[in-house]
Amino acid sequence: MNPCKIDIQNFSVKRGTFTLKPLSLSIRQGEIFAILGRTGSGKTILLESIAGMYPGNQGTILLDGTDVTQIPPANRSIGFLYQDHLLFPHMKVRENISYGLKMHGYSKKQQKERTEKLMEMLSITQIKDQYPGTLSGGESQRTALARALALNPDVLLLDEPFSALDPAMRQTLYKELLKIYHKYKCTIIFVTHDFSEARQLAHRIGILLDGELRAVVDGKDLMTHNFDSEVEQFLGRK
Amino acid sequence: MDMKSQNNKISPKKKIDSFSIITICIAMLVTCFISIAVGSIIVGGAPCFIDNLKSEEVRFAFRLSFFTASISTILVMLLALPTAYALTRTAMPFKGLLGIIIELTLSLPYLLLGLSLLIIFSSPAGKVLKEMGFKVVFSPLGIVMAHILVNLPYGIRLIRTAFESTDRRLEYIASTLGASSWRTFLTILLPICKNSLISTFLLVWSRALGEFGATLMLVGITRMKTETLPGSIYLSITTGNNSTAMATAMLMLLISVCTLFISHLLNRPAYKQERQVH
Repeated sequence: MNPCKIDIQNFSVKRGTFTLKPLSLSIRQGEIFAILGRTGSGKTILLESIAGMYPGNQGTILLDGTDVTQIPPANRSIGFLYQDHLLFPHMKVRENISYGLKMHGYSKKQQKERTEKLMEMLSITQIKDQYPGTLSGGESQRTALARALALNPDVLLLDEPFSALDPAMRQTLYKELLKIYHKYKCTIIFVTHDFSEARQLAHRIGILLDGELRAVVDGKDLMTHNFDSEVEQFLGRK
Repeated sequence: MDMKSQNNKISPKKKIDSFSIITICIAMLVTCFISIAVGSIIVGGAPCFIDNLKSEEVRFAFRLSFFTASISTILVMLLALPTAYALTRTAMPFKGLLGIIIELTLSLPYLLLGLSLLIIFSSPAGKVLKEMGFKVVFSPLGIVMAHILVNLPYGIRLIRTAFESTDRRLEYIASTLGASSWRTFLTILLPICKNSLISTFLLVWSRALGEFGATLMLVGITRMKTETLPGSIYLSITTGNNSTAMATAMLMLLISVCTLFISHLLNRPAYKQERQVH
């Protein structure tokens, strides 16, 4: 079994009126883990907490055995992709992708080489000089993915990455994500409310309801495992 | 009757309801009122505008107003940017209370703000400052101080609104990519808010140019010494020199129109939004 990559221990966070109840969860190195839950169940807040965007109210988050609870996002080697992609609107596609490299002090030549390689891999070279406002959903998604991958992150956090795409584009991007996963050997955690997406992509699935982690199961067991009545209801089996 | 024929029955001419008619009438009335007010300046100022522009007094007032307004606006921006950032982006303690204190002066009469500065700079501490060369009362430096006190809360509010309307997640993304708070501020927040910030600069500058109450209280109006454009209008009217007053008013009106025009230009979408078809 692969070693533990992310170890969340009794972690809870409060944002406004919402509270993510204390939860413990271990995610293995090289695992694809899905966080499944209804809208407003705290999936994104959990993902953002792992990235270090909010300090928790209690508990710890360990990354490779090191406590990173108080470490800022910049020092966690994490790539993050939001549902609405959030490309920097004032930067061209290539500038968006090379942003992280620039912040880490890579030379202009290194930035150019790496950016071109990523654009080629994700087939977006033809849009490199366009601004985000002119891109389609798929192009925007690929650009955001390239930006998140530019620094070879150990962990890739994806917040409902495919929800705004049409089914055909979604299937194409599933394949691309798996290709990226095999190429980069990174740990992937993604948030979704789509059961079939979670089963198709994830090794394990965590079910989060009303700010509480209710169950963790293998992807293939999602529809056969016996859960408590509320989870069964969420899965549409009751 | 099928849907198609039903749709055909809906006249392409949109029927205006009575509430809309009332609001349109009020809007027309307001426009007329403002137009008459502005028009009176144009009618009164235009005939003598060029002649009075040559007057040394008007030119002095313009130069003094231009420089003091520019210096105070730069200082307001330098102070308002970090303050607005602290109020919107940091875990500063008592943020709500500090926000209220900062914005308190927005609702105070400017004459009162000038009076508060006069009290401060006439105090023993103010006199010590004066002896050290920092002369505020009855000097051009006082004009800058008055502008800052009047415009700082206004600038902070405008910048704060611009920062609050920016999606914070863009900055989170930048931080996951290795950017520190300072670099996120420089490379993400400032460029995204660029148009709002330039617009704020122009509005603050324009307000500083027209500031009268606080300046009057702190530095008075001494001809060719502390005579700003609004001060010049006041002096000219009180001495019966109506043509100079109208020409100066016309000059201020032109400056306002230019500022407003640039501000409107900047409020257009910053980045090209049209989708390019491949």
